Amino acid sequence: MLSYLIRRILMLVPVFLAVSVIIFGILHFIPGDPVDNLLKVGSSPGARAEMEARYGLDRPLPVQYGLWLGKVLQGDLGTAIVARRPVADLIAQALPHSLRLGGLALLFSTVMGVGLGIVAALNRDRWPDRLVMGGVLLGSTLPSFWLGLILMLVFSVWLGWFPVSGARNAAALVLPVLTIGLGGTALVARITRVSMIEAAGRDFVTLLHAKGLSPLRIQLLHVLRHALIPVVTILALRIGWILGGAVTVEVVFARAGLGTLLIKSLGQHDYPVVQACLLMLAMAVMLGTLLGDILQAMMDARVRAAME
Amino acid sequence: MTYSFRKTLLCATVSLAALLAGQSATAQEAVFVLNTSEVGAPTYNPIKANNLNKATTLIFDRLVSQAADLSFHPWLAESWEEAPDGMSWTFKLKQGVTFHNGEPFNAQTVADWLDLFKASENAYMSEAVSKVEVIDDHTVKFVMSRPEPNLLYNLSSSYMSVIEPKSFKELGDNYGVTEVYGTGPFKLDSFTVGQETVLVRNDDYTWGAPLARNQGPAKIAKITFREIAEDSTAFLELKTGGVDMLLGVPADLMAEVKKEANLAVLTMPGQDVYYMPINVTKAPFDDIKVREAAAKAINQEEILASVFGGVGAVANTFLISALPEGNVADSAKIKYDPARAAALLDEAGWKMGDGGVRMKDGQPLKVSLWTQGDSIFRRLTEVVQAQLKAVGIEAEITTFDSSMIRDQYKTGEQQLAVRSYNWDNADIVDWFFGGDRLGYPNVSMFNDPKAEELRKAAMTGAKNMEERVANFTAYHEYVLTQFPMAPIYQPVDAVAYNTERLVLPEKINAPGLASVAIMDMEVKD
Repeated sequence: MLSYLIRRILMLVPVFLAVSVIIFGILHFIPGDPVDNLLKVGSSPGARAEMEARYGLDRPLPVQYGLWLGKVLQGDLGTAIVARRPVADLIAQALPHSLRLGGLALLFSTVMGVGLGIVAALNRDRWPDRLVMGGVLLGSTLPSFWLGLILMLVFSVWLGWFPVSGARNAAALVLPVLTIGLGGTALVARITRVSMIEAAGRDFVTLLHAKGLSPLRIQLLHVLRHALIPVVTILALRIGWILGGAVTVEVVFARAGLGTLLIKSLGQHDYPVVQACLLMLAMAVMLGTLLGDILQAMMDARVRAAME
Repeated sequence: MTYSFRKTLLCATVSLAALLAGQSATAQEAVFVLNTSEVGAPTYNPIKANNLNKATTLIFDRLVSQAADLSFHPWLAESWEEAPDGMSWTFKLKQGVTFHNGEPFNAQTVADWLDLFKASENAYMSEAVSKVEVIDDHTVKFVMSRPEPNLLYNLSSSYMSVIEPKSFKELGDNYGVTEVYGTGPFKLDSFTVGQETVLVRNDDYTWGAPLARNQGPAKIAKITFREIAEDSTAFLELKTGGVDMLLGVPADLMAEVKKEANLAVLTMPGQDVYYMPINVTKAPFDDIKVREAAAKAINQEEILASVFGGVGAVANTFLISALPEGNVADSAKIKYDPARAAALLDEAGWKMGDGGVRMKDGQPLKVSLWTQGDSIFRRLTEVVQAQLKAVGIEAEITTFDSSMIRDQYKTGEQQLAVRSYNWDNADIVDWFFGGDRLGYPNVSMFNDPKAEELRKAAMTGAKNMEERVANFTAYHEYVLTQFPMAPIYQPVDAVAYNTERLVLPEKINAPGLASVAIMDMEVKD
């Protein structure tokens, strides 16, 4: 198990390097640069060269990349060029908002998803199943931007139950959590349903039936336990998406967070900030995947056996 | 999702939704939504910031205030005197002014502040000031390295807000984020970047700019500035009573706001100019006759009426109407003249061919017309295209993302483009037509020896304001006669507010809705 863990963690190193090259490369090949957002009317024509030199933007790209990566590895995210503040400060201000929103959305989609998945599996091919699966299809295809606006119209404008936007109280969290959570709910419900149906067809279930246990007890105690293995894996993967999934939703609901910061900085070509935000999102996905793999290894006897 | 779909969605809401009271604030508390362009401003540190929002104008005061006609008036400086040779300025400072942290404001404060300013990224604004001498407790003298008639303009800018030097040094990077101290009518209560800023009234404030009726303290006790990047979200907040005022209303939403009984729009002269740069280095526009023809094919009145619903004003020069440097000779103003355009094209050898496109040496008069993706630019550019077609110029539109189009201009490949700028000083002519900024900002690639001479005189050759205005008018006028662009339109600044919640002053003697207007603003009980 330990050697598996070490191997798995070592594998993250090349992935991290590849991700960092891609992030840096893509960003610097987008037309435009941060200096355009710094130069002010009335500044002298030489100001551009001066600023490029100050931020090291006049150096060859590989050198800029090397310098950036070197600093990042030492834990220094640098200073924002356009925002003119330490990137770490900007992220520290934004991250808690995104984590709160994403965490609640994950919690919501887990509870709802597993619940609905069980209901669907227990009522396979009957109307509750069809209803849940229909809802799942809808939930997984609606773009969150649009869903957010619709929820806003119905619950804030028509019914007046929740504030339209912002983050002033707990009520303001409901709609954004729903917007992000509904997509996740669909995914979790589908996986729970499929894996419960699959587990219910196994030999040990037949045995349990033969022993005379009540069907509901078999389903909820034994089948569900087996069925949850892939669900937990998927959930671990979703942890990584907590931050990423909130980007557009944060903008629609006018909430502070990593997404709002990322979109603002992208528009201004504020390289150090965008690089740091994207790196955070990528790292979250990478660590989520790692966690998923580890959890699966720990829970699944077959994977454990294969490793030894 | 496309914008028009979102708009349809909004229209549907307007007609269907029942109005709800929402969560309204208690008396003398107001919630404003910052303009989308100000969303995400990361600090209230005016010395260091690259982008400051409207709330900044309430936390800090400046030495000089600016009226609606762009003239300069006292504020923290009671009066000032400029040496006849322009080499020094003496400011008499207001007495009895204190910062939010109790520190006094005096001549030493100004000297310390300017030292800090000169060491910052925004230092170019004070570049002509070589040193500050403290004459007595309330008199300072700016010794200049060269005459700078534009000094008052710079001093009236929010970047030159007077900060409290001691706490500035102590707080370092946290100044403007966790704490900030100015002399303004409001104090910072809390600030969440990208979310909201809460300001509370400074009850000691009695030194407001004379442009407001009320010199202090402010009538509103607490103001929350919300940051909302999505226009449709901001509109729904205003409509449901979640906020009291939007400090910027996009033209697309103006009609929706006007449909609501409890909402009103207030417009003020804006600082934007829409124009069509013409690349003077690219054939056929290397021929001044073709440039003039293209410029005079633009029907500004028609654009004002059809694209902007009559709101705003036509532009016949490169500067906003409020600037005195816009008073050029009438012959230099660029106005719609289709007959002249046709005659010039004929003269230049471009004869009307089949299909309404002019021809010369077997080549049709086809040019490129660049624009940016925002819906207002797309609509405007289509009308410009039709107007060019009317005189026989076929323009093909290419649309670029607005954050990337500058890099396209840097290639110098553009022929015509439709764009806009936002600025309220004549030095914008230097910015967009200076021969050493070709590509971007000088999209027109204009580099003319005579213009460069006039430019130098305008930028650094004037000893006082009168001379500066004269020199800039001459520079501006000459540039207009070379047709490196066609001016099109001047929009208004619009704010939308809830008339059941706010009483706005009848007259706002300032260039925009900021400190002066908010001093006179009241919340209804």
